[in-house]
Amino acid sequence: MPSAAEWQVLALAARIAAAAVLLSFLPALLLAWVLARRSFRGKALLQGFIMLPLVMPPVVTGYLLLTFLGRSSFIGRSWFALTGHHLAYSTTACVLAAAVVGFPLLVEAIRLSLLGVDPRLESVSRSLGRGPTFTFIRITLPLALPGLLGGAVLSFTRALGEFGATMIFAGNIEGETRQIPLAVYTLLNLPGSETAVMRLTLLSIALSLSALLFMAWLTARHRQRSGRS
Amino acid sequence: MIEVHLRQPLSEFELNVDFRSEAPVLGIFGRSGSGKSTLLHGVAGILRPKQERIVLNGIPLAQRPGGRRLAPEKRGLALIPQDPLLFPHLSTYANLVYAPGAKNVFHSERGRSILEVLRLDSLLQRNPESLSGGERQRVACGRALLAQPRMLLLDEPASSVDAELAREFLTLLLEAKRVLKVPMIFVTHRASELLALADDCLVLEKGRVVAQGPPVQVLARPTQIGIANLLGVDNLMRLPVLEHDPEGGISFFDLGGVALVAPLCAAAPGEEVDLGIYAEDLILCERKPEKISARNALPARISNLERIGNEFLVGLQIGRAELYSRVTPSARKEMDLKPGKELVVLIKTTACHLLNP
Repeated sequence: MPSAAEWQVLALAARIAAAAVLLSFLPALLLAWVLARRSFRGKALLQGFIMLPLVMPPVVTGYLLLTFLGRSSFIGRSWFALTGHHLAYSTTACVLAAAVVGFPLLVEAIRLSLLGVDPRLESVSRSLGRGPTFTFIRITLPLALPGLLGGAVLSFTRALGEFGATMIFAGNIEGETRQIPLAVYTLLNLPGSETAVMRLTLLSIALSLSALLFMAWLTARHRQRSGRS
Repeated sequence: MIEVHLRQPLSEFELNVDFRSEAPVLGIFGRSGSGKSTLLHGVAGILRPKQERIVLNGIPLAQRPGGRRLAPEKRGLALIPQDPLLFPHLSTYANLVYAPGAKNVFHSERGRSILEVLRLDSLLQRNPESLSGGERQRVACGRALLAQPRMLLLDEPASSVDAELAREFLTLLLEAKRVLKVPMIFVTHRASELLALADDCLVLEKGRVVAQGPPVQVLARPTQIGIANLLGVDNLMRLPVLEHDPEGGISFFDLGGVALVAPLCAAAPGEEVDLGIYAEDLILCERKPEKISARNALPARISNLERIGNEFLVGLQIGRAELYSRVTPSARKEMDLKPGKELVVLIKTTACHLLNP
């Protein structure tokens, strides 16, 4: 069984990853829809911009986050004035870092699943008298659901593994920002902690695998349901 | 009454149409790629043409540039796409009652007659994925009718099913027209569908309306070789009945001064009947053969000759009528076919199809 300290790390990691997915899901859905269904000037540029966190070194992403959201930045100072807390070096910073780094994966997964939905079905729905919002919720979303879930799980597991951007923007604070990779990193710097590292590694694998199995289960359930309806 | 003006550049030409029609059922006829589906989608509002003016029963649906444009869901036009697209994640019943208010219609008198005409009762318990092409088409049609549209838009409704199912579906549409009295615009490349269903038709070629009028009139006079080609060079005619021979199972028609023998029909002598003969069913001979089953051996003169692909289209003057035959280059060479040549045309009685017996 995991020790209390290990539980703390695992629970924090899961909380941060889940919050990151929740935070980025709606913007990702919106952007993915725009990319999948609209054509406009500068679309390739927007797509490239969204993909940036995937191709940039995470440390650079972390540095940019620190520059624009850090304590001395305008947003950082406004946030402090508003809430009395600093953004950087907090659990919120971990969530932000994980959300930003996982964002391209989420957008891309959702975009591909939306592309898989025949737009003619949407046209038929519209011509039958249903508006764009109803059509999106009743037709597009359910048909794209497996891809949406896949994207969520992908960005969740990506968040579990986040290291570079988190290290720079959120620091390594026990109980607050020290999730799995940072805990492993910290242990590696302590002599004689091989067993502890291995335990954490196995727990990390177990957590990621559970997320993937959960997705497989959801997808199977969805398929079964839509098959029965 | 519908009035449409629409301009939209397509990849090879510009769709530029301007028409109005008072007919309950308007057929849009043209070969694939003539812009007819684009036109239908423009009317449905799924497409945003560069320029459009669409008025349905006096209500403007779109006026651009410079005016409003109603979203597709506000137009009251239900589209039935080429493939019978049912929502795969919904049950057959949920598909049928998808439109706003469709549930109430479903349980009303009108709903009953829609289910009856389209024979949907037996399909209600079935999963959309287990339905055959023809059954899906019926559900898609029912779904559109239950939306209580002001007009039904059908995009080649029977093109995704085989010929027999297409005929069956056509019968259903005829029934829908007769019993449910829903105005329709439908797109097709089959002359038979046009003749059976449409009261008015447009012939579209390369994005332009090249002819408009009642189908028989438009199709019977292929004034341009283009239309003849579109028709698969069917010979379509409206001919007066001369007399009947019930024992022989034949009727005689006045083909521009020459008697044409066709299968026995019910129309009284003097009445007009629509007839169709495929161009490939006209056999050309140098002389009149003896003891032959074909009842028609008509003297003719070649009025024109045109190569279309791997065939020759032969225009024939028979009496005052003009018919078309199709021959291979080999036959043309051996018989030395050329404009002005006199010959005999053989047509089997059974090759003369009565279109509205």
